[in-house]
Amino acid sequence: MADSSNLKSDAIMEQMKQHIATDAGKKLTEKIGLVYQFHIAPKKLGFDEVVYTVDLKKGEVTKGPYEGGKPDATFSFKDEDFVKVALGKMNPQIAFMRGAMKIKGSLSAAQKFTPDIFPKPSKL
Amino acid sequence: MAMRDLVSGAAACGDSSSSSANPLASLANALVGSSSKTQERLKEIPTSTPTDPTSQFYSTALPVNHLPGSEFDKPLLDANSQASEFLHRFRGASGLEETWDEIQRETGVAGPRQLVPAIQQPPLDGTPQRVLSSFLHSFLDSSRGGVPFHPTPLPMLGLSEGDKQCIRDRSSIMARHLFADKSEEFIDAQVNALLCSLDIDSNVRGKGPMPERFRELEDYWNESQGNMRPGPPPAADGWITEFSQHRGKYDNPDSWANSFEQQHGANGWASEFEHSQLSSVGQMQGMNMSNFAAMEQTRMLANTLAQNGDPKFQNSKFLQFVSKMSRGRQHDATDDQWVNEFSKLNVNDWADEFGQQLGEAALGDSTSDSWAQAYDEFLNEQVASKQQLDSSRGVYVFSDLNPYVGHPNPLKEGQDLFRKGLLSEAVLALEAEVLKNPENAEGWRLLGIAHAENDDDQQAIAAMMKAQEADPTNLEVLLALGVSHTNELEQTAALKYLYGWLRHHPKYGTLAPPEISDSLYYADVARLFNEAAEVSPDDADVHIVLGVMYNLSREYDKAIASFERALKLKPQDYSLWNKLGATQANSIQSADAIMAYQQALDLKPNYVRAWANMGISYANQGMYDESIRYYVRALAMNPKAENAWQYLRISLSCASRNDMLEACDSRNLDLLQKEFPLQRDSSTVEVVA
Repeated sequence: MADSSNLKSDAIMEQMKQHIATDAGKKLTEKIGLVYQFHIAPKKLGFDEVVYTVDLKKGEVTKGPYEGGKPDATFSFKDEDFVKVALGKMNPQIAFMRGAMKIKGSLSAAQKFTPDIFPKPSKL
Repeated sequence: MAMRDLVSGAAACGDSSSSSANPLASLANALVGSSSKTQERLKEIPTSTPTDPTSQFYSTALPVNHLPGSEFDKPLLDANSQASEFLHRFRGASGLEETWDEIQRETGVAGPRQLVPAIQQPPLDGTPQRVLSSFLHSFLDSSRGGVPFHPTPLPMLGLSEGDKQCIRDRSSIMARHLFADKSEEFIDAQVNALLCSLDIDSNVRGKGPMPERFRELEDYWNESQGNMRPGPPPAADGWITEFSQHRGKYDNPDSWANSFEQQHGANGWASEFEHSQLSSVGQMQGMNMSNFAAMEQTRMLANTLAQNGDPKFQNSKFLQFVSKMSRGRQHDATDDQWVNEFSKLNVNDWADEFGQQLGEAALGDSTSDSWAQAYDEFLNEQVASKQQLDSSRGVYVFSDLNPYVGHPNPLKEGQDLFRKGLLSEAVLALEAEVLKNPENAEGWRLLGIAHAENDDDQQAIAAMMKAQEADPTNLEVLLALGVSHTNELEQTAALKYLYGWLRHHPKYGTLAPPEISDSLYYADVARLFNEAAEVSPDDADVHIVLGVMYNLSREYDKAIASFERALKLKPQDYSLWNKLGATQANSIQSADAIMAYQQALDLKPNYVRAWANMGISYANQGMYDESIRYYVRALAMNPKAENAWQYLRISLSCASRNDMLEACDSRNLDLLQKEFPLQRDSSTVEVVA
C-alpha cells in the first residue's frame, strides 16, 4: 500500500484524483467550481482524521487541508459514511440529518455536494 | 397502525395510576382530570386493560379530544382529517395556555357542545363475542377476494350504541384500506352490508366514546395487515419503552436538564427520533394513510409550537403544566427544582430557534412537503439498510420463498442453472442445497460465485465465509473472498484471504511463512506473490491473484499487466475479462474497459456484474443516458443488485430524468425497461448528445 492509512475513502479519493482530469471531471469543475475539504475519520468523528481537499475550481484532489485560502465548505465524515455518500448509498441530506456528516462553511456550497461528483469503483 | 386507535378511539384511558406509566397519559389526565365532571365521565368508560402498549399510547391522545371546544358531532371521516382536526383544535383553542386556563377555572362547565353519554359496558357474554368474531372474520375474508359481501342474519348480539358506533367507524375506515383499489360505491356497499347485518344504522353517528371492546376487530385488522407486510413485530411500543427507559435515566432532574441541553443540538434529538421511527416504519409502509397522517400531525404540531410566540406561554402556564405532568412521574419532591431547571434551559431561545427554522422551511407548502418527502425517503432507506444489516455482518440472508426446497438434488439443479447462466434461479437452488446440507462447501462456494456474478458482494462474502468454514483451505473460496473484499474496499480482510490462498496452495505454500499471517504487510505479501509468479510463470491463477493484489494497492498498470498475462493463458475466462475491465475502469481507462466487458458478456451474456460495470463506466464518462440502459439491463436480470439501483438513481438525476426516479424508487422494472431499452448488438451505443 502506498501509505499506511487504510481508509476505504482513500480508494475513492484516489480514483477521484484521476477522474477529475478526464472530460467528465472537467465538466464537474465547470458545473460546481467550488473547493471542498473533507475530514475523514476512521472510526469516530474528529479523531485521527485524514484531510482531503477536492478542488473543483482548479480540478485537483490533494491530501491535506486547502492551501489556497478558505474552502467553500468543509465536511466531516466517518470513513464508512463517506463511502456510503460517495457511492450513493446514503443521500447527503440524510447523512446530515443523522449527524453522519458535519458541515462547516457555506450551506449553499455544501448543497452542491452530491453523490454524482465521485466516480464509482468498478467491481472485479 | 396505532393511528387506527386514534381514529376509532380505542378508549384505553386507564385510571390515573395506570396511565401515568406514560407521560402523555398524565398530560391528558392533568387536563381532563381537573374537571370533575369529565373525570367522572372518564371513569365510566370501560377500562379494558390495554394489552398492548401501542393502543395505550395512542389512545391517550383521545381524552384531549374531550377538551372543551371539541366537537363530536362531526363524523370521523378518515385518519387524515381526524389527525389534522385534532391538531387544529389544539391550535383552535388558541394555544395551550387558554385551554389550560379554561380547565383551571373548574367551573364544571364541560364542553358546551359535546356531551358524552355514559356507556355501560355490555355484559361480556362469550357467545355473541364469538358470533361477532367469526362474522367480522368473514367480512375480512371477503375483502381478499374482492367479492361483494352479503348481509347475513345474525342472532341478537346486544350491542350497545357505543359498540355499534365503534364498529361503524372502524369498519368504514378499514374498508377504505382493504379496498383501496376499489370504487367508493363498492366500499360503501361493503360497509353497509356489514352494518346492516349487525343492525347498525350506517348513517346515524353516535356521540359516545368508543369503548375498547372490539379488540378482535382490531386483531383481524392487524392480521390482515400482517399478511401484507413481512415486517417485524410492532412498532410504536418501541417508542414507549424507549421513552420510559429514558425517563428512568433522567429521573434526576439535573441530569435531565443537562442531557437535554446536550441534545439541544439537533443531532441527539434527530437520531433518537429516527431510531424510534425506524421501528415503526415497518408498519407504516402497509398504511400510507397513517403514514401521511402521522407526518401531517408532526408538521402541524410543529407549526402550533412555532406560532405560539407568546412569552407567557413559555414562562408560566406551560411550566405549571409540565410540573403537573411530572407529578404523575414521582417528581413530587423535586417538583419545583425540576421546573427551575427547566426554565434555565432558555426555553425561549429554543422555541425561537425552532420557529425560525420552521419559518425558513415553511416558506411554501411545497418546501415542507419536500422535507416530509425527504424524511420519508430517509425512513425507507433506513428500513432497507436495516434489512441489509444482516448481510453486511456476514450473515447469509436466504430468500423467502424458495421453490427448490424439497428438490431431490438441488446442488445438481443449481449447477445446471448456473451453467445455463440463470444466476438468480441458481441462487435459489443452491440455497436449497445449503439449507439441506449446511456443510456442503461446494454448494456454498457456487452460491457465493453466483452472488458475485449477480453483483451482490455482501451475499457473496456471506456465502463464501460459510464455504470457508466448511472447507478452510479451498483455494477458489479464498480467492473469491479476497476479490469480494477488494470490491468492498476492505483492504485488510482482502489481504488476509489472498495471503491464505498463497499459504494453502500446494505449490507456493512453502513460500509463505505462517508466522507473518497475524500482521500482514502489503509489501511482504506482494513480494511473496511475485516470487510465486517467478516459480511458475505459466500459472494463470498466480497472475490473477497478483492482479487483485495490485488492485488493492491501486497499482493499476501492474494489475492490468497481470490480468492480461493471465488472459493469455485463460482466454475463455469471462470473470477474468471482467476483472481486467474493472481494473481499467478504476484507472480511468473507460474506453478500454468497455471492450473488456464486452468480451466477458460475449462469453457469458447473463453476467450481471459486467452489465453493471458497463453502466459504471459510461456514468464515469458522463454518459448517463447509456449508463441508465446498462443498469436497467443488469437489474432486469437481478433486481436484488442494490448497488445498481443506487447508481441508476444517480444516473437518472444526472441525465435530468427525474420523471423516472419514482419508477426507480418503486423498483418498477417494467416501466424502466420500456423507457430505457438496450439493443444488445450495438455494443458501442451511439452517443446521443
